[in-house]
Amino acid sequence: MAEMEVDSPQNQPEDGAAGAAGAASATSAAGKTKGPRMEIKKWTSVALWAWDMDMDVCAICRNNNMELCIECQADQGSKDMEECTLAWGICNHAFHVHCITRWLKNRNSCPLDNREWQYQKIGK
Amino acid sequence: MASVTKRLLKELHDIRKEPSTAELASLGPVSDADLLRWRAVLRGPRDTPYAGGFFELLIDIPEQYPIRPPTLTFATPVCHPNVHFDTGEICLDILRTQWSPAWTLASTCLAIHVLLANPEPSSPLNCDAANLLRCGDGLGYQSLVGLYTRMFAYSAQ
Repeated sequence: MAEMEVDSPQNQPEDGAAGAAGAASATSAAGKTKGPRMEIKKWTSVALWAWDMDMDVCAICRNNNMELCIECQADQGSKDMEECTLAWGICNHAFHVHCITRWLKNRNSCPLDNREWQYQKIGK
Repeated sequence: MASVTKRLLKELHDIRKEPSTAELASLGPVSDADLLRWRAVLRGPRDTPYAGGFFELLIDIPEQYPIRPPTLTFATPVCHPNVHFDTGEICLDILRTQWSPAWTLASTCLAIHVLLANPEPSSPLNCDAANLLRCGDGLGYQSLVGLYTRMFAYSAQ
């Protein structure tokens, strides 16, 4: 909770100012009431983030890398959903962990450059 | 919804932004009832004996797509070293061993388009066409291919 004083117009009518300010009001030299016109009750901060990478779409499922993979999207609420993160190869290509795992059962290569796949890291 | 369906709907959405290109006259599902069977019409590449022709491809998509590759066959008879003349079967590494899930149906069709202009006579499905190239009879090859293009591919659109 925070209180903030906001510049009030000089010729504020008494009843209007009192209504807006509530208990915390001050009286100006001219005898007219002044006070905080706004009280901040709650402050919610929002942060945005993005993967620092060129490819923003998983080349295997074509879903955005920020979203769930196509399987988890179809099956929301499943246990797997929580671990639906990204996997990076040593070639710096990234895919959803679930997508690259399905592909590697087929052939151990990066889908984008065809080189042998080795994990660099999983997750952020 | 199965993931294969969702992926195909995404591809369809992208195709509808540009439904016809210099290489691809059309690409889409054969019917609304079955998203796993598509049809494409390739334009014969310029400066090749396929020029002026329209070549229909049928595309069968497995449930495991894009982990497994689609199966593409020519419905229009094509005279090409790497295409079986009777069945329309295509011999191309990316459709088998070199498949990658990063390919789309549109990019796969483009690869077939490139194959038309760049035959690989060392792994033939049509020995007659391949032999003409292997013995260096470019003129014979051009005439034979051009003949079949005029016979079968001028009306397939």
